[in-house]
Amino acid sequence: MTKQNSPPRKHPIALVLAAWLLASFSAAAAWASVATTRPPLKPITIDLQDKAALRNGALYTLHMCTACHSLQGTRYSSLPAMLGMSEARFKEIIGTNGHHYHDVITSSMPSSVIDAFVKMLPPDLTYIARRHSPAWLYTYLTSFYVDPSRPNGVNNVVFNNVAMPDIFAPLQGLQKPVMTEGLRYGSPAKVAIGVEPLTKGSMTPAQFDRTARDIVTFLYAVAHSHAQERWRLGPWIIGLFVLLSVLTYLIYRLYWRRVITSEERWWKVGK
Amino acid sequence: MNSKIRSWARGVFGWFDDRLPISSMWRSQVSRYPAPKNFNLWYIFGSLALLVLVMQLATGLFLAIHYQPNPHLAYWSVLRGIQQDSHWGWLIRDMHIVGASAFFVLVYLHMYRGIMYGSYKKPRELLWLVGIFIYLALAAEAFLGYLLPWGQMSYWGSAVVTNFVTAVPVIGKPIATWLRGSFVVDLPTLNRFFVFHVFLMPLLLLALVLVHLIALHHVGSNNPDGVEIHDNLNETGWPRDAVPFHPYYTVKDLFAVSIFFVVFFWFVFYNPSGWGFLLDKLNYTPANILHTPADIHPLWFFLPFYAMLRGVPDKLYGIMAFAGSFVLLACLPILDRNPVRSIRYRSVLYKVNILSMAFSFLWLGLIAHGLATEHNMVYGLHVTEVFYMTFLALPFFNRERPMRTRIIWLVAAEALVWLVDVWMYSIHAHSWGLMLQTDWIPALYALLLFGLAILFPALTHDAAKLPERLTAGGILH
Repeated sequence: MTKQNSPPRKHPIALVLAAWLLASFSAAAAWASVATTRPPLKPITIDLQDKAALRNGALYTLHMCTACHSLQGTRYSSLPAMLGMSEARFKEIIGTNGHHYHDVITSSMPSSVIDAFVKMLPPDLTYIARRHSPAWLYTYLTSFYVDPSRPNGVNNVVFNNVAMPDIFAPLQGLQKPVMTEGLRYGSPAKVAIGVEPLTKGSMTPAQFDRTARDIVTFLYAVAHSHAQERWRLGPWIIGLFVLLSVLTYLIYRLYWRRVITSEERWWKVGK
Repeated sequence: MNSKIRSWARGVFGWFDDRLPISSMWRSQVSRYPAPKNFNLWYIFGSLALLVLVMQLATGLFLAIHYQPNPHLAYWSVLRGIQQDSHWGWLIRDMHIVGASAFFVLVYLHMYRGIMYGSYKKPRELLWLVGIFIYLALAAEAFLGYLLPWGQMSYWGSAVVTNFVTAVPVIGKPIATWLRGSFVVDLPTLNRFFVFHVFLMPLLLLALVLVHLIALHHVGSNNPDGVEIHDNLNETGWPRDAVPFHPYYTVKDLFAVSIFFVVFFWFVFYNPSGWGFLLDKLNYTPANILHTPADIHPLWFFLPFYAMLRGVPDKLYGIMAFAGSFVLLACLPILDRNPVRSIRYRSVLYKVNILSMAFSFLWLGLIAHGLATEHNMVYGLHVTEVFYMTFLALPFFNRERPMRTRIIWLVAAEALVWLVDVWMYSIHAHSWGLMLQTDWIPALYALLLFGLAILFPALTHDAAKLPERLTAGGILH
């Protein structure tokens, strides 16, 4: 072996980095093998200041959804502040489904009915907007389609083989799927990627779209019930520590300047 | 009047000081404790981890007050009782959640600092070992706490991990049942996990951290130059390259704490779930014993170990693979016996190796974040081989090796890589086609590391001359 006087110093590190980069491409190839065609989610912007949307969402959620679903993480009494209403106005317009004002929001469906017909407890909705993104919820609520092979006669674009019946059919009308040749867990399959209207409902498409958006806005507000407090408090706390960072940095500079600029070590023990 | 109060206060303090070593401890451990003056950014994570430990104890106290360790009550005691019904419950809970992940970020950085600057070498071997035990206690603490909210991922994660024990032949199943107090994760499991999480593990952690600090103050801190500051004392016996810990490092740590809290509270206020990494989205569904999730994931800080576990197609060997990584970490003082401490004065290939150690660990985390497909399992196995190799290659750098030894290391490393694949094939675990997609990764790594050592011997040369004194002071340099 000849003596190497000036080895390429940066070379090996670059080689290793290149190897890691190649490895990442092979990972991307791997993920393709379990791919399932994901239907596009319909975008939605959540505005927690839009009290009209929140109230409308609360109305539909508490009158339709709670027929089966519960919102055990929240109480009726916590809603008026969120909706920007007085307690009396809340009781008058939205009501508490016959429950006490400070009660937890439970499902109106007796457990005997669940045992007899439904068999499966419908999921609690308090944190559903943390479990799923708002766009997913919005797409889910608006994407039921007729599927005679299912027990309830409907299926959902973003939730294949969903157990929930299409309770929006009277409002929205029925819908038929837009199918495409896609993948399900890596193998080719017919996949629904969207819906088209089939029959008319009692609402116009714009009205129903508004309703679905309001429900998602309300569910988002319930799942993030402290959002307002977070946004109000956050800047102050973070601002405090930014200020402290500046102050402590100046103190740090003040103390360390002498250590850094002094050639000799100036400190003595026991002085 | 003023002087009267002052002399009275001095008298009261004096009374205590005569009976407790307050001022002498303060002097010897803080205000006259010599710390190397060249600590850089990497040296703030230890004290920040201590801060987070205290914060976790404080927030955990309030959470424990409101928590119900009962499967029927646990989920809603957290997500309604703490999150909604109690004042500031949401803030305290989010601080505890973000704090848990912050703890791991800080501890991982703290450990990597130790690896970079050789802080495990004589006389700090025991300090390092105690640190490994702190990490293990922390991992246990995090795992135990994760069950408490009784969400879907809590439940099934605990089910998977308590099932690890069943891998032990014959006595595994009875032991798993004994550990859980039940045949499945249930009320007895939740009760004991709660007690261990709030009582046993915090006590153990505090005790270990105390031992860690006592050991540190006994042997003194290492530093980025790896120079032993106590070898160069001035006429008063003070190390020439040291500054007193207080005020120099207390003010520096205060600055670090302030910066840390800016980031910490950004997460607490604006992103408490940390994009689903700090708290799994599935945990917003109560545990359902009849419904196993399609994909059971640990939280981000265990993902690399999960990839190692998943990579080996046998439960017992898989557990040995990930437990082995802790053994390797604990054995660092034995593996790396090169007298040069700091990475600054180590050879180029050693630097590559230490860098790859971190890269492969992060990479394992990314792989485990993907779905449990067969390809990802094999892929995890092969990157695990790289991670192991970065440790097993350390003895190679202990001194300059003759050419024959370099060739032997290359051949042995390549043989090991291919032998694992032959073994996988022989037990019909994976097909060659699948394995060949990724087994070039460890093969290429061995080839790069030892091949370059053969071609360019200078790349394995440590710095010819080590500094006798520190080269710089403070991060401002």
